[in-house]
Amino acid sequence: MEFAELIKTPRVDGVVLRRPFQPTVEGTLCLTGHHLILSSRQDNTEELWLLHANIDCIEKRFVGTLGTIIVKCKDLRVIQLDIPGMEECLNIASSIEALSTLDSVSLMYPFFYRPMFEVIEDGWNSFLPEDSFKDLESMTDEWRLSDVNQDYCVCASYPPLVAVPKDVDDDTLRKAAAFRHAGRFPVLSYYHKKNGMVMMRSGQPLTGTNGRRCKEDEKLINATLRAGKRGYIIDTRTIAVAQQAKARGGGFESEANYPQWRRIHKAIERSSVLQESLIKLVEACNDQSHNMDRWLSKLEASNWQTHVKEILTTACLAAQCIDREGASVLVHGTEGTDSTLQVTSLAQIILDPTCRTIRGFQALVEREWLQAGHPFQQRCVQSAYGNGSSVKVRCEAPVFLLFLDCVWQILRQFPCSFQFSEHFLVLLFEHAYASQFGTFLGNSAAERAKLKLSQKTVSLWSWVNRPQEAQRLSNPLYEANSLVIWPSVAPQSLLLWEGVFLRWNRSSRCLDEAYEEMVHIIEYNKELQNKVNSLRRQLAELETDDPLQHTE
Amino acid sequence: MEFSEHIKTANVEDVVLRRPFYQPTKGTLCVTGHHLIFSNRGGDSARPFLLLLRNIDAIEKSVENLLGYSRLFSSTGQSQRPSVSSGTITLKCKDLCVLQLDIPGMEECLNIASSIESLSSLETVSEMYPFFYRPPFLSLQDQWGLSSTEQHYAQMKEIHDGWRVSQVNRDYSVSPSYPPAVIVPHSIDDETLVKAARFRQGGRFPVLCYYHRETGTVIMRSSQPLSGANRKRCREDELLLQAVIDGSELGYIIDTRSSQQAQQARMTGGGFESKSCYRGWKRLHRQLEKGKVLQESLIKLVEACGDQSHSVDRWLSKLENSKWLSHVQTALSTAGLVAECVERDGHSVLVHGSEGTDTSLLVSSLAQLILDPDSRTLAGFLGLLEREWVQAGHPFQQRCAHSAYSHVRLRHEAPVFVLLLDCVWQLARQFPLAMGFSEPLLLRLAKEVYASDYGTFLCNSDQER
Repeated sequence: MEFAELIKTPRVDGVVLRRPFQPTVEGTLCLTGHHLILSSRQDNTEELWLLHANIDCIEKRFVGTLGTIIVKCKDLRVIQLDIPGMEECLNIASSIEALSTLDSVSLMYPFFYRPMFEVIEDGWNSFLPEDSFKDLESMTDEWRLSDVNQDYCVCASYPPLVAVPKDVDDDTLRKAAAFRHAGRFPVLSYYHKKNGMVMMRSGQPLTGTNGRRCKEDEKLINATLRAGKRGYIIDTRTIAVAQQAKARGGGFESEANYPQWRRIHKAIERSSVLQESLIKLVEACNDQSHNMDRWLSKLEASNWQTHVKEILTTACLAAQCIDREGASVLVHGTEGTDSTLQVTSLAQIILDPTCRTIRGFQALVEREWLQAGHPFQQRCVQSAYGNGSSVKVRCEAPVFLLFLDCVWQILRQFPCSFQFSEHFLVLLFEHAYASQFGTFLGNSAAERAKLKLSQKTVSLWSWVNRPQEAQRLSNPLYEANSLVIWPSVAPQSLLLWEGVFLRWNRSSRCLDEAYEEMVHIIEYNKELQNKVNSLRRQLAELETDDPLQHTE
Repeated sequence: MEFSEHIKTANVEDVVLRRPFYQPTKGTLCVTGHHLIFSNRGGDSARPFLLLLRNIDAIEKSVENLLGYSRLFSSTGQSQRPSVSSGTITLKCKDLCVLQLDIPGMEECLNIASSIESLSSLETVSEMYPFFYRPPFLSLQDQWGLSSTEQHYAQMKEIHDGWRVSQVNRDYSVSPSYPPAVIVPHSIDDETLVKAARFRQGGRFPVLCYYHRETGTVIMRSSQPLSGANRKRCREDELLLQAVIDGSELGYIIDTRSSQQAQQARMTGGGFESKSCYRGWKRLHRQLEKGKVLQESLIKLVEACGDQSHSVDRWLSKLENSKWLSHVQTALSTAGLVAECVERDGHSVLVHGSEGTDTSLLVSSLAQLILDPDSRTLAGFLGLLEREWVQAGHPFQQRCAHSAYSHVRLRHEAPVFVLLLDCVWQLARQFPLAMGFSEPLLLRLAKEVYASDYGTFLCNSDQER
């Protein structure tokens, strides 16, 4: 394989590893096609097992003949390797650089990973569109599953099966697809059981400067409205940006052609700006100057929390339209692959308690992100430490991480409403950027099918849904409820997600201990509760056995 | 009693009370000498709402004298009332709660407002509620306060050889703000203490506040030495400090003023311990803000928290401008420095600022929380507050006369104790399992220092109490 060609020096002894919160270790460094491995000299245990795919960038420094490589990872960890010998150091560095910037997806580790655990439930089949449609069918018969896109010709980024109004035929869909950006015609995202209202998402309409219209597109979305009722279109661009889009062939739904729809513009920053924001935020978190003013200034200048607030506000607005106003909603931005998906998935977290269960959340990510065609491969090619200089068009953006941050904000405000804990969200962040599983590879269902991911790689969900893992990721405070939960979006309520951004700056040992303690207390409480219940039963039995005892 | 003179209107019906997290309710409002009492009409099972008048920081009134208007714009169902004029009183409390009372009748509204204003700004301590409060579960015969200097000394058996309890201040003539008993080195007699007290601001000569068993070192606190522009010296004060580091080669003086401020203090009669006179003591400066600066900081912080504009930039800017978190950081890092000197380097420490009644107490109590697991238990923490704040003469009455909302001209107000509670909260958040008490205690204390049924935080010193 070509890997061997890229590895100039596969092994170096006497390497010193420095990592946050752990003592310095000396050992042997090995480079394989996919991993950086350091085994300790003391007891031969593997201290470090790092996926090349997790490496954002490396820096080299030299003091005499001792070379130091600083590895900055996509999960924001920074580790240091002291390598004796300048030539070895340079070889290792260039090997790592080559191995961590491989272009071809099929060379990546998920294709070579052989799981150590038994796959009881294949995650690739856990959340098929057919299954979620069955749930929909049990609630309403107004929708059908269309396979118009089964060979991905109508829309390259959509899945093969989409839910559309029953009375709209495939021809109509084809014509509507021609009128929407990248063929992303309006499809069903969520059905609100309480009042039968729906949320749909799409790409922008291609009205252009001539004010083109498409009767089929109008028919498609009007089919979701009840007689005499109006719907809301939430456009995640400002009016100005939406207007400007016309010059490039895009546009928005005019009142004249869509009289039954009220258009609301609730701007969310474009994804290209988000990467800068993340870089500044991480830089602020790593600032060691211990100056409070500087920290707060830098935090503000990064604008990260502004983005969190914008997305949460728009998601709340969509949820409000559906739940409070009792109206259907269509959400779109420009392409419909970034801010659109943030809004639709967050709105479902607010509205639908099943999305707050572990499996429900996985299904949400599958539906609204993976199958919906969010370009993970492009967006997660680099994280906060990447230089991005080598790539011609900058496509990387922490859109998914921002979504997870918003979920965390809601989880923090409603600690008893989620079946999973923060750990699950952090796990998803890690695996989106670098993973041994194939779930987040590729940019669309079409690409995943072409790469045959479901046959050649293991799904993350297969691993997560094993009982031990699910247990570890569950929230001990969870109490199932059927509420719609409305988060506060006041800036004072939004906090920095320390679990991701300060993870490597401050040891979480005390917090982890407190968390363990809490888990014990809750378990003990349950035990005592069971004991009380069984004693009560015994008492009841004894009382019915001797009803005459008291009258003696 | 004169209270009735202040009350112009004692009862008003059909008042609407609005407070955070509750639905607006209609009921009867009563003004008494110490409280505002609001009871729901219809004999609701809920208890009446009581507000200590002392808790009120500021009061704003707005009056509507619009007879016709209210019928035009009021929503259906609400225009049952004859359209009388009404007023709204906004009460901003020292515990940062904001309430509103809609009072029908302009005259009643103005009367209530002025009654509240005069009753909530009474100055005489003996007229305050703690003197009238008789809780059913406690008796006036119970022990007042948690512990005394003698009891504290008795618990620290290890120091009985080198240290003693001195009653030199039993009539408060040596230092009016100190308690009657203090712990000093064995070798220093009361005569020496009297002379040393003259050399320290407010007579607050160096006394022991904490003994660290693991290293055998101590934390002392005092006020600034009155060396003045002439660089006076005092042999007795030097002897006292020499006795503290007797045996070890070095002690640290942590001055909670910047070196510039310490230099300037000389011009007004104060100063610092010079190297030549106090051999064996190394002086470190860490500037902690207090007084007006701290009060300003609190006002800006509360204003930022109440900002409804929903702009993240504005929130973070205002938070930064308030500088409150900087004060928290400086307090904690200075306490950490003291703890390091005592625990890691094994050297004794003397902490002082100017008056020795604010930042000195802040630093000494936080350092003890860091060093001593006993002070993190519930009983230990309350004992620490009693010793290091109440008995040590922190002027609560002056510092907590007004909080963030007040419009009056501020004199000596400063949220030093609230800053302490914030720092303790930060510690509890970073080390959740280390504290024997939780946030509700801190919140309760933050409320009680400003307005309380109990007498603990009244007055400015042991002598006044």
